[in-house]
Amino acid sequence: MIFQKIGAGLLGLAMAGALTLPAVAQEPVRVGMIEPFSGPVAQIGIEVYESAQFMADRINAGGGVLGGRPLVIVRFDNAMNAEKTTQQVKKAIDEGIRFISQGVGSNHALNIIKQLEKHNKRNPEKSVLYLNHSAVTTAFTNELCSFWHFRFDANVDMKVAGLATQMGRDPNVKRIYMINQNYAYGKSFQAIARIMIAQRTSAELVGDDLIVPFGKVLDFTPYVAKIKSADADTVLTGNWGADMVRLVKATADAGLDVQFYSIYGGLPVSINGYGIEAGMAVRMKQITEMHLNDYQQDELTPIMAAYLAKYGHTWYGDRQRLIWEMFAKALNKAGSDDPVAVAYALEGMTHPGPNGEIWMRAEDHQIHFPLVVSTLDDRAPRKIVYEKQNLGVGWKTDGWVSREDLTLTTTCDMKRPT
Amino acid sequence: MTALEVLLFSLFNGILYGLLLFMLSSGLTLIFSMMGILNFAHASFFMLGAYFAYQISKYVGFWPALIFAPLIVGVVGALIERYGLRPVHKFGHVAELLLTFGLAFVIEEVVQMIWGKAPVPYEIPQSLKFPAFNWLGLDYSAYRVFMVLISVAIFVGLYAFIKRTRVGLIIQAALSHPGIVGTLGHNVPRIFMLVFGFGSGLAGIAGVLGGNALGTEPAMAIQLGTIVFVVIVVGGLGSLGGALIASIFIGILTNIAVSYDISFRGFFMALGVSKDAVGVGSDLVNMTSAGISPILPYLLLVLMLIVRPRGLFGKRDV
Repeated sequence: MIFQKIGAGLLGLAMAGALTLPAVAQEPVRVGMIEPFSGPVAQIGIEVYESAQFMADRINAGGGVLGGRPLVIVRFDNAMNAEKTTQQVKKAIDEGIRFISQGVGSNHALNIIKQLEKHNKRNPEKSVLYLNHSAVTTAFTNELCSFWHFRFDANVDMKVAGLATQMGRDPNVKRIYMINQNYAYGKSFQAIARIMIAQRTSAELVGDDLIVPFGKVLDFTPYVAKIKSADADTVLTGNWGADMVRLVKATADAGLDVQFYSIYGGLPVSINGYGIEAGMAVRMKQITEMHLNDYQQDELTPIMAAYLAKYGHTWYGDRQRLIWEMFAKALNKAGSDDPVAVAYALEGMTHPGPNGEIWMRAEDHQIHFPLVVSTLDDRAPRKIVYEKQNLGVGWKTDGWVSREDLTLTTTCDMKRPT
Repeated sequence: MTALEVLLFSLFNGILYGLLLFMLSSGLTLIFSMMGILNFAHASFFMLGAYFAYQISKYVGFWPALIFAPLIVGVVGALIERYGLRPVHKFGHVAELLLTFGLAFVIEEVVQMIWGKAPVPYEIPQSLKFPAFNWLGLDYSAYRVFMVLISVAIFVGLYAFIKRTRVGLIIQAALSHPGIVGTLGHNVPRIFMLVFGFGSGLAGIAGVLGGNALGTEPAMAIQLGTIVFVVIVVGGLGSLGGALIASIFIGILTNIAVSYDISFRGFFMALGVSKDAVGVGSDLVNMTSAGISPILPYLLLVLMLIVRPRGLFGKRDV
């Protein structure tokens, strides 16, 4: 029955191909993208899909992969429910898909890693590979590392290490107050930040709070009062979503003179939430692989312009380009769409990035690239566009952190298929 | 901050936050006390108020939005009562409850269809953005003061309206003795429609004022939907004064929990949990009151239902 379905699908695709592009009328390489496409956080999933589709279109326009086969992204909605992610992985496998991409939510990522370990052990001839674009829990490339998982984003430890490096250079950082969300991601942020602040800065940690995550805290004023009475000059936070928006609003509303160092404070969807004025007041800083006012790769300029014209959003995470370029390169290098061969092709791969060479470490399947810390700035040359609206602010670079400074040791003991 | 300042700050800030909670739940408690309907979609009306205010203030500014957004929400509420709740009224309260439950999902989807899934940039009006006063190094914006004033005005106005005016008396009577009130020539279904619309409008006002302080996004109804139920159950279903006191109590409780940040280490170690425990044990030993402060209202809800199911000032059991 499954074969019938695939057969019918292939026939349809082949016919569509025959009508339009005879050159790529070959079997597509399908990637199952499992993200929230419905529910309250669907916006994030939709934006990830748009950038993946944009990249697939580009790669296909350039002749596809493996000598003319198109790259096809197939959406699977998990509605931000980790249980549903597991079901959707199974569904994708049943449809014959051999590559899975996901990134929103580390608990979902964990389910996929565990599920594929089991599936691939039982069905070595039908193994499935997982391309993780954004789930950052460090354990996935440490003690939980898997041959079937590749991460194309810096993990929490690397991002915090980068923030700490920049804080060490910033003379205004003397007293740091930490606020994080009380779940796996927030706690791993907290643990590594304590170490990195001690190693890479001379600043003092004057506060360290964990809050109940996911919008449960309505009133951040007592936390703002604690930041004030601790006499902090810097807030370091891994918060995202409503927990970030309300913290920034409350801090700016109380007129506190502090700056924010963050991972996710710069997501356009967050800026839209807390507002430009509040974001400027707290001098919001973020850490990313590039930003719209700082990259060296010239070819990125037309890519960003084309994306903006098509979807009405500024190109934000360049890893959403790098992941597909590297995947296409690995397919071609492997010369087949066999996930094992593609995985070996990805191991140790280097690729031109927005600022110098990027590298997929074979030891733990963690990508390595330089990171940049930048501040929200209304005088930055290029401004962020979100939902076709010019937000009137852009990013200004504070400093780059080199790939070497972000290469941390891994505890991964990779089991490779024999 | 000295110990006294921390206490005063927690009390003061708790009252401010409590008044916001009261504003959120006043419409709900009004609808329940007058009509006996537990409106699960209440927070959705709050969300509609915020989105309407965002849309209106984009064109004509905040002040017209403060007037018109609650009016529109009120009309929407009245229409829902007329064409949704009234037909199912004869099937009892469970049918009404299920209807409002489903309505919450419908409203969320409609909001996402119109305004998208991302948060919208609904901001505090410039005219109220200046700091009204500064205490212990924290600015309190004029907008927060304004919110408190509105909240107090809602309480005083509602109380006077229900207890002191003839219309209020008729509405109260319409709930307990609809037949007699009807015989006296009052249009009871129309009274119910107006009450429901008015209660929805109150949620709309809270949305206009709270949306820009808390963030306006499709998830806001889900996030706030539960806390308003805690307020009205703890205060006593249908009691306006109870809702006010419960709101302020919850506000102070969560503020003290965060400000003092009491550790439960000693307590759990006395119970025999080792300080080097792993897993759940380590979570218990490292738990502090700040870490669980948003959960405290729900704990209070459970305790209240066990000890006094009618709430602080309720006249009947839940």
